[in-house]
Amino acid sequence: MPHLEITNLDAAYKSQPVLSGVSLSVEKGEVVSLIGPSGSGKSTLLRVLVGLLPPRKGTVVLDGTPVDYSDQRSLRALRDRCAIVFQQFNLFRNMDVLRNVTIAPVKIKKRDRREVEAEAEALLAKVGLGDKLRAYPSELSGGQQQRVAIARALALRPEILLLDEVTSALDPELVQEVLDIIRLLVGEGMTMLVVSHEMGFVREVSSRVALMSAGAIVEIGSPAQIFDAPKTERAKDFVAKILRAH
Amino acid sequence: MQYTFQFGQITRYLPDLLAGALISLEIAFVCFWGALLIGLLGAMALHFGGVWTRRVARAYVACFTNTPGLVQIYFIYFALPEFGILFSSLQAVIIGITLNAGGYLTLILKSGFLSVHRNELDAAEVMGMSRLQLVRYIIVPHIARVLFPPISNKFILMVLGTAVAGVFGVEDLMGRTINANAESFRAIELLSVTACLYVAMTILATLVLAAVSLLCFGRRRSSI
Ligand SMILES: Nc1ncnc2c1ncn2[C@@H]1O[C@H](COP(=O)(O)OP(=O)(O)OP(=O)(O)O)[C@@H](O)[C@H]1O
Ligand SMILES: [Mg+2]
Repeated sequence: MPHLEITNLDAAYKSQPVLSGVSLSVEKGEVVSLIGPSGSGKSTLLRVLVGLLPPRKGTVVLDGTPVDYSDQRSLRALRDRCAIVFQQFNLFRNMDVLRNVTIAPVKIKKRDRREVEAEAEALLAKVGLGDKLRAYPSELSGGQQQRVAIARALALRPEILLLDEVTSALDPELVQEVLDIIRLLVGEGMTMLVVSHEMGFVREVSSRVALMSAGAIVEIGSPAQIFDAPKTERAKDFVAKILRAH
Repeated sequence: MQYTFQFGQITRYLPDLLAGALISLEIAFVCFWGALLIGLLGAMALHFGGVWTRRVARAYVACFTNTPGLVQIYFIYFALPEFGILFSSLQAVIIGITLNAGGYLTLILKSGFLSVHRNELDAAEVMGMSRLQLVRYIIVPHIARVLFPPISNKFILMVLGTAVAGVFGVEDLMGRTINANAESFRAIELLSVTACLYVAMTILATLVLAAVSLLCFGRRRSSI
């Protein structure tokens, strides 16, 4: 049984359709990367999955249970198991780094504050922010904010992690660190859906790669297949472009 | 005009006036917190409420921001007893000022709700925060920081606005001034002293609010 199964998903902002007929099935412990040109709907797909944009059509099944996006209970169950790192980090500006990471486990999951704080400090140390616990987001660089956002998502202990461009604001050294963390999580069997423009990263970390274009998945396969032997014209075109850019 | 200033004649009223000033401050303080609570509930109703909740909130704001505060207190004090609802003058004044300020604060706080960053709300929602948690952990801290100046302004206006209490025989600064004047007929001296006391209260309030702002947000002045 797939961990996450998306079937025929349609979504729109107001009247503008953004996703049409997206189907994707992700096994437990699998890392699926979403690539594709800007505006193709990658972030939107993640937003639909976590219930920030209700789908127009289609189904999402989590571990065999269909998600009802109009039902608060169903949404809560979904959000209990999925975490997302947003493209713009979306940190809470009125909270320092430590509180950004601990607020949800303490206030929403009602876990013991001391235990959560110890865990958060360890997580933040792991992403190289052990000395920034008391800093506010406005006092951090983009890359630092991004790492806080990653730690915040991990503190929720999700089964499924959605990552939107988490390496875009990082220098190569930090990309390696984040990669290490992600590899570690993969080793622990976490399921991941990763949006990335970083082809080295995608190749290294993904079990499969899905290419999106104009709101649909046009080709899906192993990294080797997508990058070295794409089948569709659209994929050939896109891969040629990113290879040229690198 | 032939007028001899005789401040000497009113010095004996000074302790009385000072005690009145304290009462004025107390009235303003109580009304302010009440109004802030109403404003928060009103803004939540306007922001999250269904059709009817929103209508009720809008009607409340319309009623209390489109009529004079004095009329509102008169209504509470003199008209409600006709329906068997009786308040002392102090109660009527406090309720009137609170409801009036609550209407304005609803509007001020609503703008605060609208200015919260969409991104933060998304993140909070995806973490599973309830509406109330959203208000408590994200919206209120944002409002407290961003709307501190207009809310403080409202408080200072409310301190001055408590003077209407005097009209209803409350022993606030204005009420005591009116009484002292009836006894001594030294209107110019009395009102000058009273005016100075109001200025002093305003300055005091401004200083206290500035200190609060510095204490709470000093570190993050640049973070908006
Ligand atoms: N809040 C919004 N309201 C209306 N339209 C939106 C909104 N967000 C995104 N869109 C539109 O939806 C489409 C897909 O956007 P999306 O953010 O999913 O793209 P993306 O693939 O993540 O792009 P990028 O690589 O630049 O992040 C775009 O055409 C965009 O204009
Ligand atoms: Mg995007």
